[in-house]
Amino acid sequence: MKTKPCLILEDCKKIGAAAEAEARKNKWNVVIAILDDGGHLLWLVRMDGATPANAQIAIEKGRTAAVSRRTTKNWEDRIAAGRTALLNMPVLPVQGGVPIMVNGECAGAVGVSGVQSHEDEQIANAGIAALG
Amino acid sequence: MSLKSVARVAVPAMLAAFALAAAAQQPNPMDVVPDKMPNDIPYGAPIALDHAQAAINAAVAESKKRGWKLNVAVVDSGGNLVAFARQDGAQIASIAISEHKARAAATFRRETKAFEAGIQAGNNYLITLDGVIGSRGGIPLLEGGKLIGAIGCSGGTGSQDEVVCKAGAATVK
Repeated sequence: MKTKPCLILEDCKKIGAAAEAEARKNKWNVVIAILDDGGHLLWLVRMDGATPANAQIAIEKGRTAAVSRRTTKNWEDRIAAGRTALLNMPVLPVQGGVPIMVNGECAGAVGVSGVQSHEDEQIANAGIAALG
Repeated sequence: MSLKSVARVAVPAMLAAFALAAAAQQPNPMDVVPDKMPNDIPYGAPIALDHAQAAINAAVAESKKRGWKLNVAVVDSGGNLVAFARQDGAQIASIAISEHKARAAATFRRETKAFEAGIQAGNNYLITLDGVIGSRGGIPLLEGGKLIGAIGCSGGTGSQDEVVCKAGAATVK
């Protein structure tokens, strides 16, 4: 049987700390959500000043990236390019969700919400980079 | 109609009327009107992330020490999620349950154990109230007598959830 990488709580702390540091460096108040490969929440922080809506949006962005194994920017871009049928897909197609790919396998995803979408993604990427 | 058939109808009817009268004399505890508001805890400022994470870390440490695998959620004074952690191997259904317990503890200003106890005592109307969860493991977080949030744990038995929850709640004073 095939085996694949699985995020543990220590990984989440590492990703979360790096993402939070990136946000703090830029004085951004965001929500950072980390989900497993089934789109189930593993870890979440809502920085002081981020809204309750940000928490829900971050989770949905992360869930989208986790279960579709692609960034939410990819979804957003395809819709922006005219593929409006994708609006009916069970995803949140707004930049800021990034899958965590390990050896070609999706181990989960990071979803961020609170600042501009490309900045949300910047925070998510900074978190994932900390995995090494 | 014969006398016999009258008795067949009248006797049970009399018994039923007697039973009703007896029930009416039993005071209904729901009719009691207390002078004071129950659980009259003022809502404070929403819990800061540092405090929320400290509570989660303490809860996870307690759970780890006992070899348990739980989900721990902290919400603010409005019942909105602030921080969350799932221990390795914790059951997935409990992601939502831990948040629900925390939200119920914050919005009802009481431990979710109160609902569990009430339902167990036969107060089934509790199940019909919006947002109730009838299982212990959700505790309000009070700072200086004000409610700033709540913590919820789920993944084990209710009693296990509560032990871990208390360890987390103890970090907020």
